[in-house]
Amino acid sequence: MSTWPTTREMDIETDGFDTVDMSINVGPQHPATHGVFRMVLTVDGERVVDCEPYIGYLHRGLEKLTENADYRQSMGWWDRTDYLAGMCCEGAYCMAVEKLAGIEVPDRAEYIRVIMMELSRINSHFMFFGAFGADVGSMGTSFIYGWRERERIYDLMEEVAGDRMFPTYFRIGGVTMDLPDNFEQRCRWVLDSVKKGLEDFDGLLTGNEVFIERCRDLSPVTPEQGINWGLTGPMLRATGLKWDIRRAEPYSIYPHLKFEIPVGRQGDVFDRYMVRMAEAYQSVRIIEQCLDEMPKSGLVLNPSLPKTLRVNDAECYLRTEGTKGEYSIYAIAKGGNKPYRMKLRSPAFCSLSALREMVVGTYVADAIIILGSIDIVLGEVDK
Amino acid sequence: MTSEEQQQEGTQDGQQEAKPQAPLATLAATQRPNQEFKKTLTDTLDKLFPNSPFTIDETTTDVNVHCPPEHLSWLVTTLKERKELAFDYLRNVSGVDYEEGLTCVYHFYSFKHGHTVQLTVKCPPDNVHIPSLTGLYATASWHEREAAEMFGFVFDGHPNLKNLLLEEDLDIHPLLKAHPLQKPEILQGIEDGTPGFDF
Amino acid sequence: MEFGDPFFGNSYIDAIIRLNIVVLVMTLVVIYLTYGERKVLGRIQQRIGPNRTGPGGLLQGFADALKLLSKEDLRPRNADRWVFELAPFAAFVPIFVILVTLPFAENWGVRNLSLGLFFVFSILGLNIVGILMAGLGSGSKYALLGGVRAAAQMISYEIPLVISLLAVAMLAGTFNLNEIVLLQETRPYIIVQPLAFVIFFTAMLAELHRAPFDIPVAESEVSGGYFIEYSGMRWSLFQLAEYTAMWAFSIFAAVVFLGGWAWPMGTEWGWGWQLFLTIAKSFALIFSMMWIRGTVVRLRIDQLMNFCWKGLIEISFALLLVNGFFLYYGWPEEVLALVQWAATIIFIGFIYTRGVRRSRANEYIGTYRNPEAATP
Repeated sequence: MSTWPTTREMDIETDGFDTVDMSINVGPQHPATHGVFRMVLTVDGERVVDCEPYIGYLHRGLEKLTENADYRQSMGWWDRTDYLAGMCCEGAYCMAVEKLAGIEVPDRAEYIRVIMMELSRINSHFMFFGAFGADVGSMGTSFIYGWRERERIYDLMEEVAGDRMFPTYFRIGGVTMDLPDNFEQRCRWVLDSVKKGLEDFDGLLTGNEVFIERCRDLSPVTPEQGINWGLTGPMLRATGLKWDIRRAEPYSIYPHLKFEIPVGRQGDVFDRYMVRMAEAYQSVRIIEQCLDEMPKSGLVLNPSLPKTLRVNDAECYLRTEGTKGEYSIYAIAKGGNKPYRMKLRSPAFCSLSALREMVVGTYVADAIIILGSIDIVLGEVDK
Repeated sequence: MTSEEQQQEGTQDGQQEAKPQAPLATLAATQRPNQEFKKTLTDTLDKLFPNSPFTIDETTTDVNVHCPPEHLSWLVTTLKERKELAFDYLRNVSGVDYEEGLTCVYHFYSFKHGHTVQLTVKCPPDNVHIPSLTGLYATASWHEREAAEMFGFVFDGHPNLKNLLLEEDLDIHPLLKAHPLQKPEILQGIEDGTPGFDF
Repeated sequence: MEFGDPFFGNSYIDAIIRLNIVVLVMTLVVIYLTYGERKVLGRIQQRIGPNRTGPGGLLQGFADALKLLSKEDLRPRNADRWVFELAPFAAFVPIFVILVTLPFAENWGVRNLSLGLFFVFSILGLNIVGILMAGLGSGSKYALLGGVRAAAQMISYEIPLVISLLAVAMLAGTFNLNEIVLLQETRPYIIVQPLAFVIFFTAMLAELHRAPFDIPVAESEVSGGYFIEYSGMRWSLFQLAEYTAMWAFSIFAAVVFLGGWAWPMGTEWGWGWQLFLTIAKSFALIFSMMWIRGTVVRLRIDQLMNFCWKGLIEISFALLLVNGFFLYYGWPEEVLALVQWAATIIFIGFIYTRGVRRSRANEYIGTYRNPEAATP
């Protein structure tokens, strides 16, 4: 028939009945790729024999833009890297510039920053639980469960900063404005609902036999492998390595706060999920401590800042614990009001580079949830 | 992990944590170059490589080793293999376009000791070849691909040095200072316009 | 005219009229099943569901149907034309034919076949043909993967499905669905054969591609599976087939296991009650399917196959054997019911504890709910 492509006819005429590997193009628009990620899976039946990830569909030239803009202008772009936890990115950017220029931050601002960063972390983890549940096949229920708490956190952020996702609330040397009057009460209410939301996830996913069967023992990673592949954050902690930049190379007021570093045992998908679950509880704990210990009044922005920030020759590699792992910024200043170079070391980018090693040999359905367990955010992967 | 071990770890953590009454540590006090480690590194390198071409200084956050490209493999292998250094984790590879020439900056971390180090590899102006670290660190692969496409480095020994973030057939290096900030349409010749705009 | 009598005294005209009624009712039911599913899932997911079209969103299904009819019927260039275009019909017709023999009430059905049960499960197998046609003819790799997954799954699960039905047929001694219903006047077969019902329900979920067995149509993996390339009318035929199958299976389960129209008080309270019983029982089953869909995650294909070939089939054969012993020696039915209930509890308990015991979940949950305690 003329409408058939010639390749099909050739297939039919082939001698014998050898099976051939099939390559499936997953993405850039596929429900499970969390944005515009693309991978080409070569499958033998249901087994994945090769996987080639392709990224860059969301590349916006963040680093080039930052080099060409004033220190304070670029903040909005850095928000949009890890767009599920915008405040964490803002925090990292501000701290990098502060480190370069040696700017002090008032105590109250530090507390506010930590509260907002931890709220963002909870926010991002809820997105992970929801999207991961959807990857495993929970038909949107987990997604909406996650969104319920996210909405509450976003509402709180809007009250504080005036915007939900990309607030640009932090400033170099502090934060834009002080907290609203009833913040403490509202924040505690949100934290209570977050705890309830986490318990809901325990009921929906964690205690579900099918979920456990799907995730347990899937793509176990040893700490050595994890370090070699550049995994950080929850991915690395799931392997059992107790390493968190908030403790190992602390920044801000984290040395003064009590929190545990949850670790997994064998680095499988289930452990990654569990570590994030426990981390969300720890974040709640951190925020509660901050609310208790925070100076009740005071400056929130360093008053001695110049009108135009000019930084002389300096170089720093500022590491923070982002929601996906080590979110670090390598910054160089060479005078002037623009940075000479700002390099983002994005955690999901590095975790994603190990995707092939983790995926090969599993089933197609597993490949999807392993990808989900990395918790990629394409804004951060593609910069 | 038994409950006893858990308790022990819990108490250890408790000891490490500073009391809330203590003055707040600002960022200026943390993430500083480790002087003790700088001494260890200097001693080790002097012992292993007399008259070494390496110079050691500090950035705001790290101990910085300047290393010529031809000695990079030796240096990184040493950093990884020596027990007192044990840098098992490559954090970051970034290219920088200094006026003096293209520079590749590596950051390493040692999980064993908690040390960090920065390697600054300055290429000669006419030669952008740097040995690839993919054999030592699997994570180097994507970092090096990114640096290669953004700056035009050639990492010798890299198995697959294709474009990662940019289009596959795009042969530009946008993060070079010579590359103007402009719309991609101008670059592709679809639109006219003066290249480069300022904020 | 009694309800059992043929319309106009002619069996052919009678069959056509009855068929038309069944098709009309079926379409209406499917339209409201989609609406109901969206409402139920919405409630489970803490949202409202469709509420804009008509009062309470009641006309949403019609709006959707209209939209689907007016959409362009696309055919990919790679597709095998006739296989692609005929596949929806091949998938839909067998499901539709099942409805022919289902007794909705006493003498309410298109035809009362003496081999009704046998007819149903022999027709069921044909559904796969349409799905495979769609999978292979679409010229898409996702569709191929989905179609092959569907074939593997449906062929495997047909065995426990049929055997669990045979267990009931053994007790009843007949294949006639009406007679099976009449035999359940005092007690439905689920009381005597709970294990058979559990197996049947599980296999039914797999046959219908409902969660947790929605592997062939998994949107996060094969993004729709075998009907990924379809649009408009043909896609809606697949949906129609899916929801009709859901309804037909539920009525079938209600008839065979839940006492159909006969229990309770079916023969005494007249046809209205009988009709209500059948429909209510089938909707209860459909609701439980939606409930499962809203809460349970998806299995993987090898786990699914293992569960069938290493679990369900053995258990269903054992079930058949036990039934045979009881029938041969004429032991009382009450003892059989006891044995079956014990087996059912052991079966479900085994699955439950296996999942929970082998997981570290409870340990973890206990630890991290108390953040002051050490880490897991």
